[in-house]
Amino acid sequence: MVTCSPFKRVSSLVTQLRNGAILGSTEASLKVLNEIKDASRECTLKEFRKYLQEAVPSFIEGRPTSILMRNLVRKYLEQILRAGKEGGFRSVVEKTPETVDSIVKEVEEVKKAVVEVGSRRLSDGATLMIHSYSSTVIRLVMKAFEEGKKFKVFVTESRPIGEGRITASVLGRAGLDVTLIVDSAVRYVMKRVTDVLFSADAVAANGAVINKVGTSVVALAAKEARVRTYVVAGTYKFGLETVFGELVEGMVLNDASLIMHPEQATELAGKVLVRAPLFDVTPPEYIDAIITEVGVVAPQAIPLVIKEKYGWPPKVARVNDLLKEVVGIE
Amino acid sequence: MSKEFKGWEIPEDVVKIREEIRTMVIRGAGKIARAGASALAEAAKAFNGSDVEDFLRYMMAVGEYVKSARPTAVSLPNAVAYVLNRLRKARPSSLGEAVNLVIRSADEFITYSKNSVKIIGELGARRIANGDVVMTHCHSTVAVSVIATAHKHGKVNKVFVKETRPRMQGLITAKALADAGLDVILIPDSSVRYFMKKVNKVVVGADTIAANGAVINKVGTSVVALAAKEARVRTYVAAETYKFSPLTVVGELVPIEIRSPEEVVSKEWLESNPNVRIFNPAFDVTPPEYIDAIITEKGVIPPQAAILILMEEYGLNISDLLTHMVELREDELRE
Repeated sequence: MVTCSPFKRVSSLVTQLRNGAILGSTEASLKVLNEIKDASRECTLKEFRKYLQEAVPSFIEGRPTSILMRNLVRKYLEQILRAGKEGGFRSVVEKTPETVDSIVKEVEEVKKAVVEVGSRRLSDGATLMIHSYSSTVIRLVMKAFEEGKKFKVFVTESRPIGEGRITASVLGRAGLDVTLIVDSAVRYVMKRVTDVLFSADAVAANGAVINKVGTSVVALAAKEARVRTYVVAGTYKFGLETVFGELVEGMVLNDASLIMHPEQATELAGKVLVRAPLFDVTPPEYIDAIITEVGVVAPQAIPLVIKEKYGWPPKVARVNDLLKEVVGIE
Repeated sequence: MSKEFKGWEIPEDVVKIREEIRTMVIRGAGKIARAGASALAEAAKAFNGSDVEDFLRYMMAVGEYVKSARPTAVSLPNAVAYVLNRLRKARPSSLGEAVNLVIRSADEFITYSKNSVKIIGELGARRIANGDVVMTHCHSTVAVSVIATAHKHGKVNKVFVKETRPRMQGLITAKALADAGLDVILIPDSSVRYFMKKVNKVVVGADTIAANGAVINKVGTSVVALAAKEARVRTYVAAETYKFSPLTVVGELVPIEIRSPEEVVSKEWLESNPNVRIFNPAFDVTPPEYIDAIITEKGVIPPQAAILILMEEYGLNISDLLTHMVELREDELRE
């Protein structure tokens, strides 16, 4: 019988990951790491072993598009495996908090570097368009603003979750000139925009970007209007083991309440299906550059960056294999 | 409550119809046009003067008043012009004759408009192939007619309907098409490109069609058309000929209505975010190169041939149009 509270929180966290309640992929990934840290502190040895075995894979499946989460969990497992091989499973448990903390710190540093590089890319007098919610994009825009650059920002509502309202709210409170529009108005206002900014859940080896649904629509409208499109993503978001095609089918919700009020849903119940994908794929040809902590790169140059960091072909252990090894430590 | 407008008393029924058009209780370009025509008939019946000349001036004022309800849809001024041009040209000698003429012309327009929906449904259904999957945006009676007719002919089963924020007219379309027996999939606007690769034909309506074939319709239409073009999906616009705008022939731009922020977010949200502006255009412009054909009750035409329809309907008498335009200018000064 499992009694520690991190274990009891697993199913609600998986639900939050699955329905997009945790908005940014960085938040989602750090949340998962911190949960692992809590579990290592609050659960018994036996419970923690079971936690790694059961909870961790379900987190990853909860947000299958998040390469960041996969890569960070992999990093954690690689480091903890080394500790475990020396000191046994007890050492896995003991070393987990500091390992997690060091990874979280590293992610923060990457974010800072991305913000630094990206804010330089924004010029005074620009008109930006931002889709969805990303703490990195917000910080980047804020940094440029605090440096005295003036710009106008259009934010799309970003249905079905509507997290664009949060982005607009945060930027508005900070004193920026923000205008919120419905997703459908993206092409209408695009001719007034100079730069489009968004984040990524994952960047595939071919430079395709997986991000919140609607991103590819914004990028398409930008391309049509010859507006530059930048993706803000640290190299942790690069997909090392999977090449994504247009076939990312994960996370399509069919909850009618995402689109309509309960009474409308009742009226249409049984008559109408609701399909609400949470992510879409933006092809590399619609993206002018990806802003990473190692610099601004063309999407087609992603393999080069991967080669620099991980060798070519990149040698990456599978998360499930690592998990098995860690769990198997006596 | 009746209302005074340019020195004339506008009857209560007419005020009510105009108000329903303005607040979108009556919506959709076709319904607005028919409501406009019926408002003129009501006004004619309620006229309490005795002089024919007065009646003519009164009807012109009522026409202007009705037209000012919404600025973008051209179907409304075209419906009003349909009735009032007949009144003007007939030069009636008695008041009774004049009143009857207005009532008859309004009826004629309404019948014509309703028949057009059926004809367009049939013509449009012919453009759809067996097994096609269709996508539509917003709510358009003619677009629904095309899709439902194609379904009746056994060609279409599956239709993607976009929610159409902020007013969610997609729900009306979803219900209408589900009732017609189609498998309806309701999707958020932001997923238009995600689903486009599963679609074979896009069918939308129009509020106004300009002389160059550009289509003014509910905001988001140009996004659907762009995504369709990218995916090589054919896009059809279903529209009665009275949705073609004569004024665009003389270079007039179609004004785009910007609606209230409260359609997008709640009043509470606005109050707690005083620094955030909301920009809520009701319509957008789809360029003719993204449209494969416009389906009218008079035939299927390429958008670039829009001028053909306008020449047929209104002739190409620029001086006439310019006089007409001066009249309309005043309308644009809305309260």
